[in-house]
Amino acid sequence: MALDFSLTEEQIELQKLARRFAREQVAPVAREYDEKEEVPWLLVEKLYEIGLLNVSIPEENGGLGLGLVEEVIIGEELGWADMGFYTIPMASELGITPVLIAGNAEQKERFLRPLTEKPALAAFALSEPGNGSDAAALKTRAERVGDHYVLNGTKMWISNAAEAEWTVVFATFDPELRHKGVVALVVERDRDGVSFNKIHGKMGQRAAPTHEMVLEDVKVPLENRLGEEGEGFKIAMLTLDKTRIPVAAGSVGVARRALEEAAKYAKEREAFGRPIIDFQAIQFKLADMMIGLETARMYTYYAAWLADRGDPRHIYASAIAKAYASEIAFDAANEAIQIHGGYGYVSDFPVEKLLRDVKLNQIYEGTNEIQRVIVARHIKKNIP
Amino acid sequence: MKYVAIIRQVPDGEAKLREEGGRIDLSGATMILDQMDEYAVEEAIQLKEQHGGEAVIVAFGPERTKEAIRTALAMGADRAVFVKHEGDADPVTEAKALAKVLAEEAPTAVFTGGQQADWDSYALGPAVAEALGWPVVAWTTAFELLGEDRAKAKHDLDEGAQVVEVALPAVFTTQQGLNEPRYPTLPGIMKAKKKEIKEIPAEELGVTGTKVEILGQTIVQIERKQKILDGTKEPEKAAEELIRLLHEEAKVI
Repeated sequence: MALDFSLTEEQIELQKLARRFAREQVAPVAREYDEKEEVPWLLVEKLYEIGLLNVSIPEENGGLGLGLVEEVIIGEELGWADMGFYTIPMASELGITPVLIAGNAEQKERFLRPLTEKPALAAFALSEPGNGSDAAALKTRAERVGDHYVLNGTKMWISNAAEAEWTVVFATFDPELRHKGVVALVVERDRDGVSFNKIHGKMGQRAAPTHEMVLEDVKVPLENRLGEEGEGFKIAMLTLDKTRIPVAAGSVGVARRALEEAAKYAKEREAFGRPIIDFQAIQFKLADMMIGLETARMYTYYAAWLADRGDPRHIYASAIAKAYASEIAFDAANEAIQIHGGYGYVSDFPVEKLLRDVKLNQIYEGTNEIQRVIVARHIKKNIP
Repeated sequence: MKYVAIIRQVPDGEAKLREEGGRIDLSGATMILDQMDEYAVEEAIQLKEQHGGEAVIVAFGPERTKEAIRTALAMGADRAVFVKHEGDADPVTEAKALAKVLAEEAPTAVFTGGQQADWDSYALGPAVAEALGWPVVAWTTAFELLGEDRAKAKHDLDEGAQVVEVALPAVFTTQQGLNEPRYPTLPGIMKAKKKEIKEIPAEELGVTGTKVEILGQTIVQIERKQKILDGTKEPEKAAEELIRLLHEEAKVI
């Protein structure tokens, strides 16, 4: 009898709040921020006011201490309204997670509490211009000098970076050691030698700020190191094992939006004397969208539930959820455009933006190819 | 001091409604705190924040009404009294039951939505005031407390607006313009769980049935006329026609 798909009363209220906020505050301005390629700080502030920003910060550090199931609830709603906007709070949780995983009590208090006292963001910097999927091949150097590290190098594709209070930077103190030579350092935005270049011309998710982060002789004190020297790579992977679940949740939101927009249009649009929803070619597309949506949502909740329980199966489950949800969402957005015909290809309707936005969900926080590597690793190790 | 907001739970404006056997079927509809009542809740909370005291929610309706009560508590109200009643009740019957609760609560001021999104009778606020023998100020757009027993309020009438001074306790019906209702917050949602909801069966307050029996319900559908005038060929004629339509049909100029 233990199997139970219901949400708690509090989770239902949370869902209602997030849904209302997404519908009333985010969706109406999504197109505008996308066109202007501008960070919607006003929305970030509003999100903070209703308590939906940085929700994973523990109660003892001034936060709400919510789990991934709650993040998934929020993620679907915000992803429905604007995946680009949702990436901002999502990437902030990505920055917070390594502190939760490897930070000591003093570090948690020092780095996390300020993020609960005002609308503020965190960030996570692993990728570099020359490495993405091969994360252990990073070149950013962290040279130990007395009681601090000196950082030199460039980080690439960093969500929130210039907008964030601090960024968890992964660097190597010995490239020969590959993943065993990585250290995780919290780098505050205002440290000398830190600079950012905003990346322009993104296909989608244009409300979300993405930066190149340049580190030139940046002195970072030892007390900003998360975990031990050499544990950085492990910390990064443990983080991503969890944080790709909200990517799946945002994808579910995009898929739901695509289905809703396509169904609405198919009921209104007439061809050959009747609404196009009466044609089987359209019905099958819509049915496939719903099959993808329902299965992706269920599996995303399952992955979040495993992660919240500390069940190690969440490692492959989160990879499956992320790859699957982002793929069905991309397909849903693509078919929603097809159902809209020419109207789907222009910005008067929201569906072309869904496609542009959700393409990134197949790439960031580990490409879907890397997710399959994670699943295959599990198969090799554990399936006889 | 104590400020009461009377609330109801109604279908969301975007909810899909169905007619089923001559009645509106709400089983598939998303139900929300009446948006007109949100102004009442906000006003009660603001008064409490400014002057101290207590913001109390009083609600009438079936079991599901608790969801709306929790929303109001999550916005920041302190506690709630819930008169539980399954089935129909006309506004006067409802008001009489609520009046008994209010007589016991003895609030400084009572607020409730100027109209109700589900059975738009405009009657609940005035009927509550009538049952208690308290003054009523309908369609309030501004409210100011002048000590413990008087208030100044601005309200809309057909002919324009009026500013009045009124002896408290009194009932004020609320509408857009009075304030900007806040969203519930996530910490508020978590705290709301621990706040008291005192439940009273409607029968205990003398509700035995309804005086207005509903024989049938239908959904009113308003369709846009979508009249488009072609101004490319004879723009002057089109402009004249536009003015005629605005004057004679739309009656806006």
